[in-house]
Amino acid sequence: MKRANVDPVELAIFQSAVHSIAEEMGAALRRTALSPNIKERRDYSCAVFDSQGRVIAMGDHMPVHLGSMPMSVQAAVDAIGFAPGDIAILNDPYAGGTHLPDITMVLPVYVAGREQPAFYVCNRAHHADVGGAHAGSMGPAREIFQEGIRIPPVRIVRGGEIDRDVLSLILLNVRTPQEREGDLDSQIGACRVGERRVHELVGKYGLERIEDWIGELLDYSERLVRARLREMPAGEFCAEDWLDDDGVTDEPRKIAVRLRFNPDAGELRADFSGSSAQVEGSVNAVRAITLSACFYALRCLLAQDAPATAGILRPFTLTTVPGSIVDARPPAPVAGGNVETSQRIVDVLLRALAQAVPERVPAASAGTMSNLTIGGIDPRTGEAFTYYETTAGGMGARPGLDGISGVHTHMTNSLNTPIEALEYAYPFRMIRYQYRDGSGGAGQFRGGSGLIRELELLADAQVTLLADRRKFRPYGLQDGEDGAAGRAVVTRRETGNESELPGKTSLRLGKGDRLRIETPGGGGWGRRSE
Amino acid sequence: MRVAIDTGGTFTDCVYLADGQLQAVKVFSTPSDPSLAVMDGLERIGVGASLELRHGTTVGTNTMLERTGARVAFVTTAGFEDTIAIGRQARASLYDWFAPAPVCLVPPELRFGVPERVGAEGNILRSPTDDELAELVGRVRTGGAESVAISLLFSFANPGNERRVEAALRGLGIPVSASHRILPEFREYERASTTVVNAYLAPRMESYLLQLEERAVAQHGPARVDVMQSSGGIIPVRFGAQEAVRTVVSGPAGGVIGACRVACRAGFDRIIGFDMGGTSTDVFLADMTAGEAQLTRESVVAGIPIGVPMLDIHTAGAGGGSMARFDAGGMLRVGPESAGAEPGPICFGRGALPTVTDADFLLGRLDPETFLGGGVQLHRERTEQLMRECKGPLATAVDFATGIVRVVETQMEKAVRVISVGRGYDPRDFTLVAFGGCGPLHACSLARSLRIPAVLVPALPGALSAVGILLADTVRDYSRTVMLPDEGIENLSAIFAELEDRAAEEFAAEGLVGTACRSLDIRYRGQGYELNVEYHALSPLRSLETFHALHRRRYGFAQESRPVEIVNARLRMIAAGEGYAPGKRALVRGDGRAALATTREICFDGNFRASRIYRRDALVSGDAIEGPALITEYTSATLLPPDCSAGVDGFGNLVIAVGGGVSE
Repeated sequence: MKRANVDPVELAIFQSAVHSIAEEMGAALRRTALSPNIKERRDYSCAVFDSQGRVIAMGDHMPVHLGSMPMSVQAAVDAIGFAPGDIAILNDPYAGGTHLPDITMVLPVYVAGREQPAFYVCNRAHHADVGGAHAGSMGPAREIFQEGIRIPPVRIVRGGEIDRDVLSLILLNVRTPQEREGDLDSQIGACRVGERRVHELVGKYGLERIEDWIGELLDYSERLVRARLREMPAGEFCAEDWLDDDGVTDEPRKIAVRLRFNPDAGELRADFSGSSAQVEGSVNAVRAITLSACFYALRCLLAQDAPATAGILRPFTLTTVPGSIVDARPPAPVAGGNVETSQRIVDVLLRALAQAVPERVPAASAGTMSNLTIGGIDPRTGEAFTYYETTAGGMGARPGLDGISGVHTHMTNSLNTPIEALEYAYPFRMIRYQYRDGSGGAGQFRGGSGLIRELELLADAQVTLLADRRKFRPYGLQDGEDGAAGRAVVTRRETGNESELPGKTSLRLGKGDRLRIETPGGGGWGRRSE
Repeated sequence: MRVAIDTGGTFTDCVYLADGQLQAVKVFSTPSDPSLAVMDGLERIGVGASLELRHGTTVGTNTMLERTGARVAFVTTAGFEDTIAIGRQARASLYDWFAPAPVCLVPPELRFGVPERVGAEGNILRSPTDDELAELVGRVRTGGAESVAISLLFSFANPGNERRVEAALRGLGIPVSASHRILPEFREYERASTTVVNAYLAPRMESYLLQLEERAVAQHGPARVDVMQSSGGIIPVRFGAQEAVRTVVSGPAGGVIGACRVACRAGFDRIIGFDMGGTSTDVFLADMTAGEAQLTRESVVAGIPIGVPMLDIHTAGAGGGSMARFDAGGMLRVGPESAGAEPGPICFGRGALPTVTDADFLLGRLDPETFLGGGVQLHRERTEQLMRECKGPLATAVDFATGIVRVVETQMEKAVRVISVGRGYDPRDFTLVAFGGCGPLHACSLARSLRIPAVLVPALPGALSAVGILLADTVRDYSRTVMLPDEGIENLSAIFAELEDRAAEEFAAEGLVGTACRSLDIRYRGQGYELNVEYHALSPLRSLETFHALHRRRYGFAQESRPVEIVNARLRMIAAGEGYAPGKRALVRGDGRAALATTREICFDGNFRASRIYRRDALVSGDAIEGPALITEYTSATLLPPDCSAGVDGFGNLVIAVGGGVSE
């Protein structure tokens, strides 16, 4: 039902205006942050929520944050009796977070005449280190306590002033406190930029009209999704795929989904009950991540300019088993759930969708973010450094189009660190950065090629790799071939010996040693002509 | 005599000042060699000796859009040959599984690596040997490159190796673009991409501009030729030829400058520019309450990132000459193909396919007697007949014409939304400045659908880009990366003196006298982006205060105790453009009766209504006109729908109040 008093033109203007607030917060964060992962790679997300914590706008940043940011707002609201001038901080995956390096801030926006916040603005950024057993906080852990400092929802800013007690507690627990403090300042600034712009919007249009628009905007998103779901074939579509291992044992771990379309009602259910139990290693995903992956897939089925709001999830029901790899319980470690398992959940969703609408679904993309973290002491300054970067792979071939080479797909869209920024900030030298020719799966349409990125260490360092798709390659569809598996190779300076690394490992490398990462290619689509 | 000539897809506009009054001449463009139309225009104006020609060119834009640039070789540090194609490894559309692969202007076989390396501190770790350079030159030659772009890692920090590679490749006799000259800034992909665009455009742009200068000199004696840059500043032709990437949106930049100057003088400081020409439409937004029209260093032109500063202009691929057709699915489409100057619209007598201009003609919106001063005869019967033949399933040719106009106006609306609504601005807070040959015809309808309350149609709307080019300042930017801590700010006078000497020397060589504006790019240590603040020679520390304040205002925080980095010292040399400041005439309340030529039927929303036709040059300041009406002039025509009313302000601009709600 359309609200009679909402003008469609004004609604469109409002939707763009509130979306641009999220984008502007992102720009403020990028332009002021210190760590290359935020300022160059844009590994962050910003969003605006209404008084009930429903997402009304989200910047075009990182899809993996889509479904999980609302839970951060909810967790902050539940834990904190907000007052004007407060900003909450949190990273606990079991209380509104995703994995520990993602630190989220939530600012309640108060509007004159209302006691409770009328909006929340929120941003989340991936910090290159939050302490724990391994530099970069992405290493092979057995419990979340080894993955870094856990921050429940607490106030980092009270009555407009930074809470130095909380800040110093956090900074004492991380390897690169100065960089962290600078990045946290940027997140606080970005919240304030969002708050200011929300106030401008309220000043201009008035809260009552805006609340009408919000209601209509959410309904509109819902109508779009339902219309699309009504076109889908009725029935159940099941698929499964595997993670190579959990980094502790060699045993493959299963992700399985049962999709049930109900076109008459315009509804979709996804049931992940067939997935493996939670594991000892770090590839556990909290439920927020599974929800994000579903949100992403639904969003992709819509037209390009459909707004990503809470309305999209209304016709959707998610079932997960608590204590499983897609709905982990404490104290399971979760660093890899956000970056690896999230991609595999998307792969499984696409595989099921491909049975329903084969002409609208691409073959599997790289399926791993090939996460690399390196930490040590920079001999140029004598200070600690921590580096984090993901490397793109090949995109799966599309019906009618080859996959794109060397591009981030699905749940991430971070940029690369420019080599000229990387070598300025870290004691590394890049040796090469090129396409991995021939790695895309063959087919009527070819999967995109992966990348090769090789660097030399200019200082001793702890190097941690968190990657997948070594055994289970990115699948082809409709008789297209699988993409090539990923690999990582270390060349020791002293011996010149090359050795291949497992997908999930942490090791000490010396100055002059080289590390080469070769990322998977995308799967092919359709049978290759002879 | 100073003449500004702006090449468009259909017409080439020439503007000059005679006795303090702006004059315009329009000639047909000559797309195969745009300089022919330029020479034609100069001839018609009858310029005498001491010509100063200022040119806005579309050669750059068209080359990018049509992908007809040179076969470019890309030379970089060995191991990084693919980086020009990999880009930033992110995708443009987050949720589109079917997005096409991004384009790369360099074919795979023309990506070359040189064994060399510069470190992050600017230290040369390895230089190429002479043999290696010779081998590279051989490979580039064998590859059949027509132009070369060189961008080595860290060449912005130490251009030593890049200069050697550049010197070796100069021997090939093809244009060489080196990144440390084009964009000496960090971030290798953006620098390389900008350099590649320069190389891609260089051969065509260089031969075009230098030939134009040659011809101008041959026919008019010693002449000075300048070019409009995408940033809205004029540069001497010699720089334009070397730095082709700086003139990619040359003509449209003239439109921004023209619109901003005219609107400001008329008292409008928040404008949306709407420049609808023959083949495309440019729109932009300028909020002059927040300073000048916005420059961006993060432009994307035809899918390719460009890092040199450009005015923020958005282009839609439809204009008056855009052709209409029914596609395979039976949907009416307009553009992006254009009838251009040749064969032109049906009504001009040569074209055979319907265009937006033909639709406007059938709807009664073109005045046959005054169209281009009567210089082009409009063929009514021919238009009616061919439009009927192409009308598809529609009942009448008029229905077809109405449909074409609605489709093209929807495209215009979408373009304006991108730059206003899409960036968080509410169009209702702006005035639509309509220009280009077709802008004023469609402006009121567009304003109404976007709820823009007022439209400004400047004098000479069909040649406003040329007016902007005539009035623009000559601007050249000089910079030096200094990378100093806070206290270094006290020691910058020598660096600025050096920049100023170089600038003054270059300007003097061109016979120009400039004024220097000094500024600093400052950031907190460790940040990746800077804020630009004015540098005060007498009290340099004020720049730091300004920086902290600006940082707080823009980004929500500042910390005076935190160490800063002074990244770049910038000097902008400006030589003022044509002094043109017409006095404001007193308003004499009138109804424009003296300008009323006739009454004719014009079609609005499918219904023909008796409408008054006015001659704009007979209107005087203070006249007020009610729609429905058509106000005709040499370079354009303004359509005033029912419910709209126009007044003539003290500068001769039409200021239109747009009435009438949107039908829901």
